[in-house]
Amino acid sequence: MKIRVVTMGRHYHETEGLPEFLELQEAASLDDAIDRLGELLSPGASFPGSCLIAVSGKHVGTIASHSAVSLGDGDELMLLAPVAGG
Amino acid sequence: MNLSPAEQERYSRQLGAGVLSEEAQLNLRRSTALVTRVGGMGGPAALMLTMAGVGRVIIAHGGDLISPDLNRQVLGSEAVIDRPRAPHFADYLRSMNRFVEVDYVDHEPSDSEALELACKSNIVLSCPPTFEERLRLNRAATKAGVPLIDAAQWGMTGTMMVVRAGLTACLQCVYPQPPPFEEFFPVVGAISSAIGSLAALEAIKILSGTGNPLFGKMLTYDGFQGRVTTMELTRTEACPCCGGL
Repeated sequence: MKIRVVTMGRHYHETEGLPEFLELQEAASLDDAIDRLGELLSPGASFPGSCLIAVSGKHVGTIASHSAVSLGDGDELMLLAPVAGG
Repeated sequence: MNLSPAEQERYSRQLGAGVLSEEAQLNLRRSTALVTRVGGMGGPAALMLTMAGVGRVIIAHGGDLISPDLNRQVLGSEAVIDRPRAPHFADYLRSMNRFVEVDYVDHEPSDSEALELACKSNIVLSCPPTFEERLRLNRAATKAGVPLIDAAQWGMTGTMMVVRAGLTACLQCVYPQPPPFEEFFPVVGAISSAIGSLAALEAIKILSGTGNPLFGKMLTYDGFQGRVTTMELTRTEACPCCGGL
């Protein structure tokens, strides 16, 4: 199956190399997708634990703490590194 | 009490079908909004609230204006560099609308001050650079039982979330651990103004009783990629701030 990946927020430029679409095995989980994306980041880089996660527009937690979610074909996975500048 | 002829003239472009009814404008006039801080996002937000006719606008911001602030802090000017922001920003706001009362606090409010200010207000707009301050304002708005709008930005991207504690996710539900603070965050003034103006629009809708506020949602404007998204936020039942409400 294929999901769409959207990365936003702080240091957005560091994820420019990530693919817009990610191929995953059928019935893959959110953790599978996060692990796969982590492998595609630059060496030494990782998603911050406070990074928000939404699946198809629904907030499911942070990288550090999120609910178990099964992904489906066509889902959109959004990763948002918190921003706070005033 | 009705709008005076002078007020009707002032607000004539925002009164009517698809914008504000006269009753909605009167609701604004009867309202108080707290905006802290009033830099890149809070400044445009406070300006739009003042120009829209919110009856009382309270701003809070400590320190002096410095040159790098002037790429985004629209309430400042060359003449205010090295001078305290709050009183000068308040003067500027007063100069924009004689029908609005503007008060200022010349420092970042403590926990007790934030709660006291929130209790005097009908809405809190949270626009500081640190999550420590944002979470403080979130707690104050939750305890005071008033809506909170949190606006944030980094670089060319920004987020805004609208909270009604007890009914929607609060800031602490979303950020159970305060994310790291980056003192010298990059920012393009156009994005902070855009997010601040959107925060003001949500406040105007809520205070006036117009339209459908974005309660329980986070809007993200990614100016770098040219992308706008909305995320439906989830409450945390055990949230130390709003859990049990």
